[in-house]
Amino acid sequence: MTGKARSPRNPQTGLERGFLWVFRGAALITGMALFFPPANPGRISGKINQAASLFTTGISRDTVTNNMGRILRSQWITDGDVTLLMISCLVVMLGVLACAAGGCMSLGNRKMRKTGLVLPLVGAPIMGAGLFLIHRAYESMLAHGTSADKLDKLELAIPAGFAVFVALTGLLFLTALGAYLATAKEKDPAAKMEMEEKYRLFLMMLPVILLAFIFCYLPIWGWRYAFFDYTPGSDIGPQNYVGFKWFRFLFTDPATSADLVRVLRNTLAMSGLGIATSWLPIAFAVLLAEVRSTKFQRFVQTFTTIPNFISWVLVYAIALSIFSTDGFINSFLTNVLHQTGANTNYLQSADHTWLKMLLWGTWKGVGWSAIIYIAGIAGIDQQLYEAARVDGANRFRCIWHITIPGLIPTYMVMLLMSIAGILSNGMEQYLVFSNAVNKDVIEVLDLYVYNIGIGKSQQISLSTVVGVSKSLVGITLLFLANGISRTVRGESII
Amino acid sequence: MSKKEKSQATHIRRTARDWVFDIAIIVFFCLFTLICVFPFYYLLINTISDNDLVTSGYVNFYPLVKSAAGQAVPGIQISNYVALQNVQDLGSSVLVTVARTILGTALMVITSAWAGYLVTKQKMWKRSFWYRFLVITMYFNAGLVPWYMNMLMMGLTDNFLAYIIPGMVAPYNIILVKTYIESIPTSLEESAVIDGATTSRVWLKIILPLSVPILATIAIFGAVGNWNSFQDSLLLMNNRPDLYTLQHRLYIYLNSSSNLGAMMSQGGQVSEQAAQSLLNQRVIRYTVSMVSIIPILLVYPFMQRYFVKGIMLGAVKG
Repeated sequence: MTGKARSPRNPQTGLERGFLWVFRGAALITGMALFFPPANPGRISGKINQAASLFTTGISRDTVTNNMGRILRSQWITDGDVTLLMISCLVVMLGVLACAAGGCMSLGNRKMRKTGLVLPLVGAPIMGAGLFLIHRAYESMLAHGTSADKLDKLELAIPAGFAVFVALTGLLFLTALGAYLATAKEKDPAAKMEMEEKYRLFLMMLPVILLAFIFCYLPIWGWRYAFFDYTPGSDIGPQNYVGFKWFRFLFTDPATSADLVRVLRNTLAMSGLGIATSWLPIAFAVLLAEVRSTKFQRFVQTFTTIPNFISWVLVYAIALSIFSTDGFINSFLTNVLHQTGANTNYLQSADHTWLKMLLWGTWKGVGWSAIIYIAGIAGIDQQLYEAARVDGANRFRCIWHITIPGLIPTYMVMLLMSIAGILSNGMEQYLVFSNAVNKDVIEVLDLYVYNIGIGKSQQISLSTVVGVSKSLVGITLLFLANGISRTVRGESII
Repeated sequence: MSKKEKSQATHIRRTARDWVFDIAIIVFFCLFTLICVFPFYYLLINTISDNDLVTSGYVNFYPLVKSAAGQAVPGIQISNYVALQNVQDLGSSVLVTVARTILGTALMVITSAWAGYLVTKQKMWKRSFWYRFLVITMYFNAGLVPWYMNMLMMGLTDNFLAYIIPGMVAPYNIILVKTYIESIPTSLEESAVIDGATTSRVWLKIILPLSVPILATIAIFGAVGNWNSFQDSLLLMNNRPDLYTLQHRLYIYLNSSSNLGAMMSQGGQVSEQAAQSLLNQRVIRYTVSMVSIIPILLVYPFMQRYFVKGIMLGAVKG
C-alpha cells in the first residue's frame, strides 16, 4: 500500500452500500459492547463482578471470581465452569475481532471488500459458537448448583447482554452475507487489495476517536439520571421515571433552592473577583518589562511560576504551615515578636473567605498567567517606542499608549474565556480549603455538585440535574462569548 | 527582548522619577518572589530541624538542631525523611503515583503525537469533523456525576487503569502537536512518501524525531498533571485505599491533623495521646508535602523553557 491515491473507485450499488453501512455500524457497536459491562453476555451469575465487561470476563480470572470465594471453595460452581465461561468469552471475542477486521476492510476496493466480508461470515458463526458455550457454562453451573442444593445462592440467570449479543451476531451475519452477495466478483485477476487513502487515514484515527467518544461523549448518556428517581445500586426503568420532577424540585423545595442561591452567590462572587482582577497579570508583565536587568527578569519569572505547578492540596499544605495555629505567623508572633496568646487559626474562619480564595488563586497563578503577556510585550514593534520617544513621550506614556493597547487583544480573549467559564471554577481549591466553619461561604457550584452527588450524600438524580443545567448554561455562555468575539474582533475564540 | 531593551536603556536619560520607579518595581518584585518562595523554604527547614524545636515554633528562618548540651544551634538532620518509611500507606501511594506518571504520560504523548500527526492529513475522510469532535471536548463536559456513572459503567472505579486510559486523549496537546507539525516543511515527508514509506513509517522515522521539542513540552505538562492528580483518586478509588495517589494521601494526612488543630484552637480538651499524635501528624504533614514538592522543584529548572514554549504555542490558535 503506497501513499499514492491510485486505487480506482469501484462502483457500489445502492443495495450493497446499504448492507455495508448497517454491517459496519453493527460491527462498531459490537466492538464497543465488548468493553461495556451492562452488555456482558458472560455474567450468567449474580456473583460475577458487576463491573466486568465481556473483555474482562475473558481475560481476568480474578475479576470473574472475586465475589465467589465461598461458592468456589464449596464447589457449588467448579473451577471447570469458570474456565469454560472464560474460554467461551474468548471465543466470542475472537469472532468479534474477525467482524471488526471485516468492517475495516469493507472500506477498501472491491477486491478488499470481497475478501474482507469473508471474515464476518466466519466470525459471526464463531461468535454464535462462543455464545452457545456460554450457555453450556450456564447449564453446567445450574447442574452443579442443583446437586449442591444451593441454586438461590448462585443467582444464575441469562443476562440481558446475552440477548443483545445473539441479536448482534444475527445482524452481523445477515448484513455481511447480503453485502457479500451484492458485491460483484472482481474480474480483473491482477487486481490488488487496496484502500483509498482517506479511509486508511480514518481507520488509523479511529482508536483515538473511540477513546474520545467513550470518555467525553458517552457520559452525556448519564444525563438520563436527571429524569429518574435513581438511588445507587438500583436499576432505572419505567417504574422510577419521574420526568422533570427533579428540575421542579430544585426550584420549589425551599431548602434546596436556598442552597442553590447560596452556592450561586459564592460561585459568582469568586468568579467575579477573579474577572475583576484579571488585569493583574498584565500589570505584572508590564512592570517586569520595565526592569532593565534581563537576569533579574528571568529570576523573577522562574520563581513566581513555581506555585503554578503544585497541586491545590499542596497549596493547602503550605497554607496550613503558614496560617494554622502552630504555623509560621503564630510562631513568628510568639517567638520573634514575643507576643502572648498568638494562636489564631486563620484557616478556621469564615471571614473574608472569598478574598482569601482570590489571594491564593493569585499567588498560584499570576506569575504563570503573566508569561503570555511578557511574550506579547516582546512581540510589540520597537519602532513604535522609538517614534513615541522622538515625539517626547516618557515611559509612562509609552506604557499607556503602546504596551497596553498591544496586549488588549490577548486580554480580551482571556476575559471572554473567563466570562464563559463563570460557573466553572473547579472544585479542587474549594474542597481542600473548606472546613466546618467556612463551608457556607466557600461552596461553589462544582463543589456543591460533588457534595450532593458523590461526596456527602448520594443524590445522583438531583446532582445530575444541577450538573446538566450548569453544562447547558456554560455552553450557552461559551457560544455567546464566541459570538461577541466574532462581532467585535472578527475572530472566534474557540 | 533583552538586547532591544538594553539599547533602549542607553538612549533614555533617566529622571529622578525614573529612578524612584525603577527601585519601587525592583523592591516589589523582590517581595513578590519572596512570597512565592518562602513557603517552600519554610516547609523545608521544618522538615530538617529538630522536631521538638519545630513544635515549640522556634524554626522560622533557618534550620535548628539540638546540640549535645541541649541548646538550639543551626544545623540539619534528615531523620524525618528516614522515618517516612514507617508512615502507613505512604509507600503504595508513592508507587501508584510514580507508575501513573510514567505510564500515563508515555501513553498520552504517544496518542497525542499520533493523533496530532493524523489530523494534519487533509486527505482523511471527514478530517475537519473529527478534528472538531476532539477539540470540542475541551470546552464541554457532561458534568461530574454523569462522568462518574460512566466510569462506573466502564468498570474503571477501584481500578488503576482509570488513571491512565481516560487521560490518553488530551485534545489540547493534540492541538499543540498539530500546530507544531504543520510548521515542519512538508517536502521531507513528501520525499519519503515518494520513496514508498507508509504513513506509520513516515510518522515513526520523520515526524517523531522532528517533533521532539513539542513532545517534551507536552510530556512535562502531562507528568506534572499526573504527579499532582488528586481528583480522580478521590472520586474513583473509594474501596481501594492502596490505589490512592500521593496527593490524595497527603490530603488525608492534612485533614486528620487540621481537625486536631481545630480542637485545640477552640479550647477543647485534647488528651496527651492526641497531642502526641498532633506532633507526629505535623511532622508527617510537612515531610510528605516536601516529598511531593521535591520532584517538581528538581525538574523545574530544566523544564522551565519547555513550560514557556508550551504556553506560547497554545496561544497560537490551533
